[in-house]
Amino acid sequence: MALREVEGDAGLDLGEVLGPSSEIATRRPLSGWRRVLAGLALPAVLLATWAVLSGTGVLSDRIFPSPGDLAHSAHDFVAAPRRAPVPGVVPFKGAAVRHIRASVGRWAQGYAIAVCVGLPLGLGLGLSRWMAAALDPLYQAVRSVPITAWLPIALVWFGLGEGAARFLIFIGAVSPIVVATADSTARVPRQLVDTARMLGTRPRDLARRVYLPAALPGIVTGLRLGLTLGWTSVIVAELSGSTSGLGAMMFAAREVTRLDQIIIGMATFGIIGLVGDVLLRTVARPFVRWADA
Amino acid sequence: MNQPAALAATGVTKAYGRQEVLSGIDLAVAAGEVLAVLGPSGCGKSTLLRVLAGLERPDQGRVEAGGAAVTRPSPERPMVVQGSTLFPWLSLRDNLAWGPRALGDRKAGAIVDELLEATGLTGSADLLPRQLSGGMRQRAAIAQVLANGPPLLLLDEPFGALDAQTRLRMQEWLIGLLADRATATVLVTHDVEEALLLGHRLLRLSHRPARVVDEVRVDLAPPRGRATLTDPRFVALKASVLAQVLDA
Ligand SMILES: Nc1ncnc2c1ncn2[C@@H]1O[C@H](COP(=O)(O)OP(=O)(O)OP(=O)(O)O)[C@@H](O)[C@H]1O
Ligand SMILES: [Mg+2]
Repeated sequence: MALREVEGDAGLDLGEVLGPSSEIATRRPLSGWRRVLAGLALPAVLLATWAVLSGTGVLSDRIFPSPGDLAHSAHDFVAAPRRAPVPGVVPFKGAAVRHIRASVGRWAQGYAIAVCVGLPLGLGLGLSRWMAAALDPLYQAVRSVPITAWLPIALVWFGLGEGAARFLIFIGAVSPIVVATADSTARVPRQLVDTARMLGTRPRDLARRVYLPAALPGIVTGLRLGLTLGWTSVIVAELSGSTSGLGAMMFAAREVTRLDQIIIGMATFGIIGLVGDVLLRTVARPFVRWADA
Repeated sequence: MNQPAALAATGVTKAYGRQEVLSGIDLAVAAGEVLAVLGPSGCGKSTLLRVLAGLERPDQGRVEAGGAAVTRPSPERPMVVQGSTLFPWLSLRDNLAWGPRALGDRKAGAIVDELLEATGLTGSADLLPRQLSGGMRQRAAIAQVLANGPPLLLLDEPFGALDAQTRLRMQEWLIGLLADRATATVLVTHDVEEALLLGHRLLRLSHRPARVVDEVRVDLAPPRGRATLTDPRFVALKASVLAQVLDA
């Protein structure tokens, strides 16, 4: 199955996707502090360059606000006193918690549905050659429809609001979960399954006792991709008429050309996406440590 | 020999597509006996063993174990192949406990401890398979299937990937283990020396499609081991089998 496409999007390590059965050698990752240092260096350089360019006027604040302005707006977003809500208006000042809670809540709901659907579907596809042959062409076609193209039909089916948002996030997250689960399940070495059977494992226990654990490293990669793609779908989902959420805030800011607010929205998106991925990785780590190179 | 056969195959024939791999194989292993199967590379030895294990069905012929037809894999006749068959996400201890647990023995502690002892791996019980050496893994894979106390063991070139010294040590270890447990064994190999050192009887297979060419009794006094290799009867037997193999 076309795992490589998904993989290309997220810039993941091939060895990580293929799991321990892969013959592809993976290099040892950098140790803790080196990694932190390398990861912080580039943002620090960019920040310094940006401050210099803004300060000298080379970078006009019509194109990109200065660090100072942005810090000020960020402070407003998080800490300014909240205003009384006006119907139909998406607030910015003091509204950080409210928007983050709305976006993350939608994300969590859509993602939970995607996991509940994607894992069994992927396992089924990986275990049954018939199911794979029957579903694969249809599935590949459906999956090549971009998330934004689902928006109109989501609005027709669910109307403006939460239903459409959850549906879009589900659509965004489910694909990589299905593909990675199916792919890594189908790759489980036959020898492992044969051994389990010769040790007396009942055929109906094989999925749970052999296929699932053996495929887990690949599945976790799919879950991570799904989490990230689900999060990017949140912003599309919030075009479906939300008055809360980071996406809604950014589109409201665009209408009044508040570049600073748009950028703060983007940065918040980035940070939360990163935190989500780190959390998922931390939770999954003990279960897939055996597959570390 | 009038002992009941632990395993018997009659007229086993198998083809992959239009290519015939096994052609009317007959063999029988008595309880506690080690049958070595020697054949040239690619002749169908692994295929034969998979059929005996019940992992594949023959196109024609029959395999019987303990009087019942073999139609699927069973803990009564496990097969161990070259390269690890351990579950990579489980510690050595949990790997060894898999079989007894699958058959309903929740704890399996005593059996596992005894096997760790017998394989000399007690100190490595909590390591993952990838943390073991090739030789340790191979011993562990054999111990894993022995945990269910099978009356019959099917071994497919279990030591093929090891260096000569390690292989000899492993062969001595296996000879002792099989003798202690009186486990009937079919050992597939393309190494004449290994076949004669471990086998009580040797079955020689032809080039593909595999047929039984001849059968040699290996009457060498126990205990067999490194000293056997220089026993004049062993040397003579080895020379004659080797000559036949090379002339074929
Ligand atoms: N699943 C399969 N599908 C098609 N052909 C197969 C399959 N398994 C084995 N063969 C073919 O059957 C023949 C015998 O293979 P087998 O692995 O049994 O030989 P072998 O004697 O064990 O070889 P080696 O000494 O190299 O281990 C080979 O020509 C192989 O290509
Ligand atoms: Mg073979």
